[in-house]
Formats: sequence, structure tokens, C-alpha cells
Amino acid sequence: MSENRTLLLDSAAALFDDLAGLEIAAAWPRFDAAGLATLLVPEDAGGFGGDWGDFFAVLRLAGENTLSLPIGETILATRLLVDAGLDVPTGPLSIATSLDAVPFGRHAAGIVVADGTRLTLYRAASVTAAAASGDPLDAVTGDVMASAPSTACTMHLGAFLRVAQSAGALDKALRMAMDYTGQRMQFGKTLSQQQAVQQSLAILAVETAAIDVAGQGAAAALDRGEAAFEIAAAKLRTNMAIGTGTSIAHQVHGAIGFTHEYDLHRYTRRLMGWRSEFGNDRHWAERTGAFALKAGGAGLWGALTARTDKAA
Amino acid sequence: MTVFSIHAFDPPGDVPALRQQVRTLVATHEGAWDPVRRTNCWATGDRAFSRALGEAGLLGMIWPKRYGGHERHPLERYVVLEELLAAGAPVGGHWIADRQTGPHILKLGTEAQKEKYVPAIARGELWACIGLSEPNAGSDLASVRTQARQTDKGWVLNGQKIWTSGAHEAGLMLALVRTQEGSQRHAGLSQFLIDMDTPGVIVRPIIDMAGNHDFNEVFFEDALIPHGALIGEEGAGWKQATAELALERSGPERYLSSYLLLVALIDAVGEDPDPQVTALIGRLTAELWTLRQMSMSVAAKLAAGDDPMVEASVVKDLGNSFEQDLPKLVQAALPADFNLADGSKLARVLRHLLIASHSFSLRGGTREIIRGIIARGLGLR
Repeated sequence: MSENRTLLLDSAAALFDDLAGLEIAAAWPRFDAAGLATLLVPEDAGGFGGDWGDFFAVLRLAGENTLSLPIGETILATRLLVDAGLDVPTGPLSIATSLDAVPFGRHAAGIVVADGTRLTLYRAASVTAAAASGDPLDAVTGDVMASAPSTACTMHLGAFLRVAQSAGALDKALRMAMDYTGQRMQFGKTLSQQQAVQQSLAILAVETAAIDVAGQGAAAALDRGEAAFEIAAAKLRTNMAIGTGTSIAHQVHGAIGFTHEYDLHRYTRRLMGWRSEFGNDRHWAERTGAFALKAGGAGLWGALTARTDKAA
Repeated sequence: MTVFSIHAFDPPGDVPALRQQVRTLVATHEGAWDPVRRTNCWATGDRAFSRALGEAGLLGMIWPKRYGGHERHPLERYVVLEELLAAGAPVGGHWIADRQTGPHILKLGTEAQKEKYVPAIARGELWACIGLSEPNAGSDLASVRTQARQTDKGWVLNGQKIWTSGAHEAGLMLALVRTQEGSQRHAGLSQFLIDMDTPGVIVRPIIDMAGNHDFNEVFFEDALIPHGALIGEEGAGWKQATAELALERSGPERYLSSYLLLVALIDAVGEDPDPQVTALIGRLTAELWTLRQMSMSVAAKLAAGDDPMVEASVVKDLGNSFEQDLPKLVQAALPADFNLADGSKLARVLRHLLIASHSFSLRGGTREIIRGIIARGLGLR
């Protein structure tokens, strides 16, 4: 990890601690003041100048926290608006693929929708709050504030954001499962000393590792340039890991993990929601499947290696 | 805290050209290879191809030139390995010698041992096997009973090894043997380099459920080997045998054993198959991509001098599950009228892997042992 990234993560950790437990109205001015919204804006445009690896690391950390704030959405929307030469509204921002399902729509001062050819910035006119599995996901009607040509795609970037958050949230669920099973005594020893429980926790760790690797692999591809395949593969692999991982986290916790009082659901409810947002398994499997079919059986390996090899 | 942090995979030199060198070599030999035997190809040996790799400088790639090596970078070697495995090249004959035995001799061997064995391995002529498992030992490898007794003429071996892959084709065995009479468990064990043509070394085949001869029993009946056959330190065998296991747990062979079935599936279904089949191909491709990032990352850490034992075990666990589940997932998703008995490449490869894949989570450390290592890495035991 670069020294810059370590410093960035230290300050992000301090900020997230500071924001913990605050409602969005109280939290947002502090988030704004910290300047994290410009994480992906180039330095010469007045931003932090971070890369996609930095974004992954920061949003992974956000996923380890229970903050219900559109941090990643705001960072992405800010970058896309600056890239498109549009003004950035003040306040929390969101990104979406359609106005039917807007993360934090009820709080958003602006909503960016980009489909790879055109970017449109909306202001929410009315909001129908949906019953969310985790963070708010709202249907809105919106007025167009601005629009510009753009190659950005909010489906892809939103998926990458959810991968990063999921890496942190499933890691947190793993830590909670390890702590709980390490303390709870059953049949004269801790749960974590039972081999059956150890084997389950090993699988949970492996699935968490899979999200970490997929997310970092996609971040590296974004930093190289075009990353449509890597993001598709990463989100699909993440969705698979969420399915397996949340089951184990709950299973080893027993009934206490199913209570409202215990914090595990703050992570697993959001993970289950993120599994659908910005593409479920079927959506991304169609994309990665199309990639493989286009390459053909004999060509698939070469298509994969060409995406990671540096040009000679 | 990150469970698995990626380490950049950045081999020196012209990587696309290196890949092309391997692909060209494969293309000149593959006419003679049976499609079924190309799956799980690191369990299949081919003398001519091993020698061709040796001549091309693609064995012993990272070893010193004075022992027949080529002093290339470990990540260049990784590129060659993944190319060979993805192509289904029969690399099983020399695989163990190139991966483990050669490096082990270079690290711990005497000058005489290095000169005797290493150049022959690098030429692809000397294949090796690993004498670890013994009858009734299962995963408990330390319960070694095979004994070596020192005499004036050399060491006299008695006992038995089992599940020894490739012993019938190997010229050399690296064996873990009890040298201190009455010692228990990990103590009193030593490693030996045993020439397989030594009188009193007897190899008997064990045919596996796929009909292949890969496993063997190896008996030692008063087999006399020279004093100079001991490698490393007498009594340090356990430590020597278990060092650097990460090297054999995270390589591309841990996730690519069924890869050619995915290739056959894509070739068989054409460009616009049933959406369920497309989705399965997509899922498998996403898993393959993730595993490749993982395996490359561990390779990069190993090349940088780390020993990422837990991360290597993560690759093996996830990779073995992937290559083991792949045939069953393909079987389940094929059109209802697909005929498993027909002579098509897809049917033949699928039939073979449905059976062979049961070994994937056994070899090199069972799934349960590997998950135990991960649990230990998490601090649970």
C-alpha cells in the first residue's frame, strides 16, 4: 500500500468514527468539510487526485462501518460531473441507472444517470420511499438540471462501489462471527474450538477474500483504463460471496444474530440489498457470458491474459 | 484489515512474446494429444514434450545456469505454467521435479547431489515423485514408519509409501523416512534422494476410479542407498518437508484442472446459446477471473520473498472447489437432449472430469486440512 493511501485511510477512518451515529443532516456538513467528496477529482481540478485503488480502499472501509450515508455515490457523482464539465450541486449526491431505484434518493441534492454515451443530472421532484433491505433505495421523479456527452456508465461504477462496500461489510461480519464464536461457550468449549464451526468460518473467510480480490482486480483494471469485463466479473463474484457469506455469518451466531439489538443485521441487510443493486447475478452473468462467447473457447484464455499483460 | 491483499503481478520482459513462445510450442506438439488426457493435464506425462520444454529453456527456468537452469524471473515461470495448463499440455511427468524436487535439491543438497540431479531435471529427462504418504496415515503425514538404518555401506531402507503419484515413471524419489529408531511424530525424520532403479525399491500400480495409472505403492525391502543420499540435515526431515508448502498450494494447477471443459462447452454451444447456458459460462468465467487474480497475487508475494501460507490455502480451497464443481454445473445446465454417451469432445471430456474431479480436493492436502490451516491463520486454533 502506498504511503499516501495509508494516510488517506487513516483520515477516512477518523472521519467515519466522527460521523458514526449521526443523522444525515448533522453528518453531511462534516463530510463536506473533510473534502473526501473530491477523492477522484484530479489534483489540477482542485481535487484529491486519488486513483481507483484508493476509492476501493476507502469505500471498503466505509462498508466496515454502519454509516448510512451516500459517501461512494457522492464521490462518484462528483467525479463524473467534473469530468463532464458540469457544476457540482452542494449536498449529498447519488448515482443511478434509472430514477426508479435511486440510492438515498430522498436525501440527494442531485442524481447522476450515465449510460456510456450521455450523462444527465437530475434534481428529485418527488420521492416514493421504498421499503429498503438496508440503505434507502427510492423511486423518484426528477427534473433535468444538466446534461452532457460522457463515456461514463453508472451501472458499472455503481457495481464497483457495491463490490468495495461489500468487501468491508462481509469482512466485518467475519470479524463479528470470529469474536462471537470465540467467546460463546457450548459443550465445555468455545464455539470457535468446534471443528465444524472452524470449517464454516474458513469458508466465510475464503468468500471474503474472493470479494477483496475481485474488487482490487477491478480497481486495477479501472486504473489501466477500460474495465467493463472486470467490473462485471467482480460484481458477479461478489454477489455469489454475499449469498454464501451472510448465511454462514448468521448460522454461527445463532438466534442472537437475528435480533434487532445485535449489530450483525446492519451489515447483512445491506449486503443482501447490494446484491441486487447495480446488477444481480443474472445481469452480470449475461455480460461475462457474452465476453466468453465472443472470445470463443480457444480464444478465451488469450482474451483474459491480454487484459492483464502490459503491452510489450 | 484486508483478508486478502493483492500484490501486483509484474513480470519483467516481454510477457506477450513469452506466452507466444509457449503457444507455438504447444501448437507443434498438440496433434498427438488426446482431448480427454489434456484435461487435468498435470497428471499426464509425455517424455517427448518434457524434453521439448527442456530444450526450449522452459524447465528449471529460475535455477542457476551452472546447473542447467535459465535464471529467469519466478513470474516468467508462472506465465509459462499457466499457459501450459490452460492449453492442456501433458506436463505431469516433470511437474513435481520442476516445481519441488529441483528447488529442494538446490536449496539443501550437496554439490554432488546438485550436479547429479538438477541438470537432468532441467533437460526434462529426470522425473521425480514424492515419498510422503504411508499406509493408514491419511492426512497425518508425520506418522511415518518407513525406516532408514545407517550401515558402513550406506543407508538400508525398509517400509512402504503409498499414493505416490508417478512413481512408476520417476527416476528419483524425495522421501521422508524415520532415521532415529523409536522416535515419535515429527522428530527423528530425515529426507533422502532415492534412485528408483535401486535394487529393493519395488513399485506396484494402483489403478484409480477413472481407469488411470497415476498412484502407486512403493516398497523398500532392504534397499541400500549411499551415505550421500541423505539431503539436508539428519533429523530435520519434517521441517524440510513442510517448508514452502505455499509453493505447491497456490499455483495455477489448483484451479485450471477442468478449464478445458469450459473451453469445450463454449465451442460446442455456439455464439448464441440458451440463456441458462450463457449465464453458467458467465459465472464460470467470473470465478476463473477471480481465481487467476488470486493465484497471480500469491505468486507475486512468493516472488517477493513472502510465505503467504494462508492466502495460498485460500487459492487451493477456492480453486479446488471451482475445478471440482465445474463438471457438475456443466452437466446440470446442458440441454435435456444432450447425450453423455456420444463421442463428441464435450461429452468425452465431461464424462472423464465427472469422475476425475473427485481427486481434486484430496491431492496436495484435503479440503478439511486446508480449511483447518485457514482457521489457524484466522487465530481460531
